[in-house]
Amino acid sequence: MKATTSRRDFLSAGLALPVLSAGSRMALWQSSENPIPSNPRPPAKLSYRTLGHTGLKVTTVGFGCMITSDPSVVQRAVDLGITYFDTARGYQHGNNERMVGAALGNKRKQVVLSTKTEARDKAGQLKELDTSLAELNTDYVDIWYLHGKNSPADIHDDMIEALQLAKQQGKARFVGISTHSGQQQLLPWMAQKGVFDVVLTAFNFSMDPGMEQAIDTAAKAGMGVVAMKVMAGGSRNQKLAQNGAMQAALKWVINHPNVATTIPSMTDMDQLEENLQAMEGAFSEGDHKLLAAHLERIQPFYCRMCGKCEGTCAKCLPVADVLRCLTYADGYGQFALGRERFLELGSEQVAVRCGDCAECTVKCPFGVQVSSRMARAQELFA
Amino acid sequence: MTASHLVLLPTLLAAGMACAQDYLSCQLVPGWAQSGPKRQYTAENLYDYKDGAAEAYLSYGFTRMQGIDCKSGGTTLTIDVSEMNDADSAYGIFTANRDPRLPIARIGMGGQIQPQSALFAKGNHYVEIVAIDPNPNADHTAELRTFVTRMQERLEGRDTAPEALDWFPKDNLASTRLVPESVLGLKQLKRGYVATYKQGQAFIVLEASPESAAEVLKELRERFDGAFSVTVGDEAFQAKAQYLDGICIFRKGRYLGGYANLPAPQEAASQAAKLAASIP
Repeated sequence: MKATTSRRDFLSAGLALPVLSAGSRMALWQSSENPIPSNPRPPAKLSYRTLGHTGLKVTTVGFGCMITSDPSVVQRAVDLGITYFDTARGYQHGNNERMVGAALGNKRKQVVLSTKTEARDKAGQLKELDTSLAELNTDYVDIWYLHGKNSPADIHDDMIEALQLAKQQGKARFVGISTHSGQQQLLPWMAQKGVFDVVLTAFNFSMDPGMEQAIDTAAKAGMGVVAMKVMAGGSRNQKLAQNGAMQAALKWVINHPNVATTIPSMTDMDQLEENLQAMEGAFSEGDHKLLAAHLERIQPFYCRMCGKCEGTCAKCLPVADVLRCLTYADGYGQFALGRERFLELGSEQVAVRCGDCAECTVKCPFGVQVSSRMARAQELFA
Repeated sequence: MTASHLVLLPTLLAAGMACAQDYLSCQLVPGWAQSGPKRQYTAENLYDYKDGAAEAYLSYGFTRMQGIDCKSGGTTLTIDVSEMNDADSAYGIFTANRDPRLPIARIGMGGQIQPQSALFAKGNHYVEIVAIDPNPNADHTAELRTFVTRMQERLEGRDTAPEALDWFPKDNLASTRLVPESVLGLKQLKRGYVATYKQGQAFIVLEASPESAAEVLKELRERFDGAFSVTVGDEAFQAKAQYLDGICIFRKGRYLGGYANLPAPQEAASQAAKLAASIP
């Protein structure tokens, strides 16, 4: 898909993709004494994909454990057949790894388990890996990620050496990088580098269409692709939750064949079962409408910080930075912070009034009404 | 209020404001100097700093973070102060991040100091300090304690842990925490305190009214096949469940409480009765 593809086309691409459910099977439905969910919903069909050249077979819906507080939800997920579980050394200062390790117990080897390190050098990373293994109560992790790297410049040779050493020592079967932004530069670099087995990347329906191309590049190089932030804001995305589009958002990601699995965060049994249902069906016209309507609502206001407006303002305003100031005030009620950041732009830029231009030279590819939003920022802060 | 009070008031207010603003400074401890600019994050961009760990902060009502790095010799202290919606939430993120195997120290509402890190909560502030040292085994407890002491003196707000924590029976109590959503993995129990014992766990959830608490209890009871009523609090049931083992959940006024993960439901009911008795 070309970078110029429209967002509507991007959504439609998801709609047109076939569902890869050849490996589906019925989940093992626990019929033993009084399972917690008494919901009469029938068991979900699980769908599987292979995680790149690792050969690991994973359910298309995995489990992001980062905010799960009760181990029973993880245990239930294992029993229902979910095979991919993700945590990190840094989640709750290590408490999350300890919870996951205790929850998996003697079923640990039935699942693919990943964790991450944020340490800044080889020695620190390897020390963290040993701590992770101890907390997870396991001899190895299936995937060990460098946590939150958003540019090739963030990744130094000694970090890669740590990954390779962990593999040689049998402490990590496969290695990769997790990334929240900059994927269009980072993923092709990883593909070319040839030392990474898996990438864990933010990917959802509200992102830049060029993301799909980056994911394709990674997959073609044999890397397994795991998607996070699939709900475009998680369970705290209230507008998405209100109109029932959470499952549609998850299906949208699953229906991209180069994404092997996803890691929505889950805190309760009902979320778990709802997310499992996303594996059952294709991304439908109804799903498409739900997500399109959500995008339509946020489009005029929501700056994705894609950077495509950079250098296009006739008055040389840093458009994305100004819009971020406005988001602080309008979106998060942080007026003082928004104003503080706005005034940091410098007196020349603060003095510009967008209303003075006959026509705005900035065209947002995602439909943000730049001129009116900039004028509002100037009215509020200047 | 006397005339002398009125004269003093502006001075006291000014002093209070100054205190509120100077808790984030390397100069709190001689020999340390700020390295680099101050960091500021909101709920919108916390991911840029915390990666996936940001989710937990957001779940506890994170609103804003300010941070600085302080340097002395080869050691850097990374100091971050998060502002949460309220004091309970600040205490909550502290309990999520603290090491539950170690005791809580009397620092603000609660704190922990280890050789390379310190955490504490006071008012709606949650403070984290991490020491970065070329020597991975260096012990910075003393410096961390000094920073923590001076910061908590300057931070305003509540300095006592949430009252509800005192209601949990103390025998065999291992740790307590605030769970921001889905207590026991049940979405009906939205937010509450959880106490972990050597065996089993207890919880307390505050609902808006006795009526809404009764409605939640009814929904919960319907989840568990074979649940039957027991006499605990205003109303209660006990059951045996696949993942929560022996469980008893009761309502007392607008509080919901209970025990889970005990071998037998009767045992859960017996423990729940003790908890119910301590809830005012």
